[in-house]
Amino acid sequence: MKKGDVIGGYRITSEPTNANGGKCIWAFAEKDGGQYFIKRFLEPKRPRDDDTRDTPSLRIRRQLAAEFEQRHRTIMERLRPDARGGGNLVLATGFFHEGSTYYKVTERIDTSSLEKPQALEPRQKTVLLKTLGMSLKQLHDIGIVHGDLKPLNVLVQKRDGAAFHTAKLIDFDDSYVSGSPPAPDDIAGDSVYGAPEWRRYMQRDESVGPEHLTCAVDVFALGLMTHLYLTGELPHHDKRYGSPADAVNAGEQLDLDTRLSDAMLGLLRAMTARAPGSRPRITTFLKSLDDPKVCALQPRRPGTSRKPSARSTPSTGKPTDTAPRSRVKANLTSAGGRPGTGPSTSGTGRPGTTPSTSGTGRPGTTPSTSGAGRPAAAKDAPATGSPAHAPATGSPAESPAAAPSATPAPPPSEATSPPRSRVRINLGDRGRGRGPTGGSS
Amino acid sequence: MSANIEQYQGNLQYAVDIVLCVDATGSMFPVLDNVKASALQFHDRLNDVMAKKGKAISQLRLKVIAFRDFGDDASDAIQQTDFLHLPTQAKDFEQFVRGIDASGGGDIPESGLEALALAINSPWETGLDRRRHVIVMFTDAPAHPLGTVGTSASTYPKNIPSSIDDLFEQWGYARSQTSVMEQSAKRLVLFAPDQAPWSDPIAEEWDLTLHFASKAGEGLEEFEMDEIIETIANSL
Repeated sequence: MKKGDVIGGYRITSEPTNANGGKCIWAFAEKDGGQYFIKRFLEPKRPRDDDTRDTPSLRIRRQLAAEFEQRHRTIMERLRPDARGGGNLVLATGFFHEGSTYYKVTERIDTSSLEKPQALEPRQKTVLLKTLGMSLKQLHDIGIVHGDLKPLNVLVQKRDGAAFHTAKLIDFDDSYVSGSPPAPDDIAGDSVYGAPEWRRYMQRDESVGPEHLTCAVDVFALGLMTHLYLTGELPHHDKRYGSPADAVNAGEQLDLDTRLSDAMLGLLRAMTARAPGSRPRITTFLKSLDDPKVCALQPRRPGTSRKPSARSTPSTGKPTDTAPRSRVKANLTSAGGRPGTGPSTSGTGRPGTTPSTSGTGRPGTTPSTSGAGRPAAAKDAPATGSPAHAPATGSPAESPAAAPSATPAPPPSEATSPPRSRVRINLGDRGRGRGPTGGSS
Repeated sequence: MSANIEQYQGNLQYAVDIVLCVDATGSMFPVLDNVKASALQFHDRLNDVMAKKGKAISQLRLKVIAFRDFGDDASDAIQQTDFLHLPTQAKDFEQFVRGIDASGGGDIPESGLEALALAINSPWETGLDRRRHVIVMFTDAPAHPLGTVGTSASTYPKNIPSSIDDLFEQWGYARSQTSVMEQSAKRLVLFAPDQAPWSDPIAEEWDLTLHFASKAGEGLEEFEMDEIIETIANSL
């Protein structure tokens, strides 16, 4: 996949990138006048249809491909854009393979550049958090764990003339059914936003089994993100710990910002509790936001200042300085941008593009950073006028990731290679027709 | 990057192993210095990027395989290091990298697949909590088919597959019974021309492979190393 290629009818309009993409490569694309985000999975690869051998290797790979297709179809069927609140989920509009590679398409969404969500008025913050919570609720209501909730997987949007910023959730490729996560080596997640039980699960702590990885994993991450959106920083913790979850696992309480209201402090304390069962459900989170005052910051209380020397300064996920960029632009992950968002160059921009920051921005997105650091969009990003952003690409859950690879364009010297199947097979397509704000698709 | 003894022992431990396969034939002369410079800065830059993300690597090891062409001069067709721990073995790493000179190569295809086979069969880290195993191939040329050139030379690698199909099985896929690499940990990053075997079958058919097309004398610029660093940092 490279800029200018046409894949499945979609013309690639930005340089593909792996930035923040995990197991995928992503880019922006257009088709029939519509703007899209396209993600190329790095795995699995689909055996060629014209390879009719029956070997153990091919049997396994055909089975993997069939399971992959089924998983994606299932998620697409379960997450319907017409469901209440579904408009805040950026869902796939197409899923197909071309040659050996799988692709997924979502509508491209323009994001706003919200540099400092913490500077919003309480009511604005409430709306932002509520829309994020509503998005998550759509998943939790059907027993799905997002699995990789972090700022880079949340697109902040403000339509022209709208009074409020809203949040749209992207990248469900790492999602899993509550209580049935992928194996410890395969499960996705971010080391900063990961929940305590997720960390212990990966460490193969015998006290944590698959059944302990539930929607509460997302609630922990949402607690951290809420703190970030309201204060501009993640909760602090003792610097001996590598992450908030590590601190919590060690029995430490996170150092929450004392400017937060008592109600919010209580909510966040509960959301970041060590025991998954002690965390509130998403409905409780939403209900807690009924009164915008909950999101207000107060003057720091006397005697409650932090002790920076002993606490770590958590990463905010925001782009920080100008890090080197890469040729691909996008970003997806935690501190970085996420694929699916605009052509930015996120942490990696290409030479000549805007300095990215942190290396993580979302490609193509505008400099938005919504609370979580998204890198500024690259200048060369596809001109959309506004920062566009793209859906996340990603990662796991749904699985496979994509691989950047090679553009199919076999050179003459490939004469010895068997002919490749270039047939595109549509594996799921919701069709277009969604509103311009998309996102919901 | 090394473990901080003051750190809480329950923190999640990440291990990163990287094998750099570097085409050191004459045609790489215009870009080899860039590749070497990028390699030497790799450790510091990865640390910087990780720190900005609020993340840390518990163990980083690098291995370098410089390759030329067994069909031209088998005596220096492969030169390699063991896995070197950084930063503690940074001097050994630097000494080897600085000693790579662009020379030889003979015909256009090089012995890149032999280098890739050696990389795949490296002694990858199997401990710690989560691992990332990355092979990076820098070349501006297609490759001789495995097992066809220089196989009788005493320096030809022993115990590597004799065909690309067999090498594919060693690279593996989920549930593979023949893979020598950990599926969830591995990545193959190709800075190689849009030619066989790099674009097809490798980039087209192999899991977890990223291909950035290069041209002779071009395409191995600094930002590409940044791409690798981002790929690693974002995956942890």
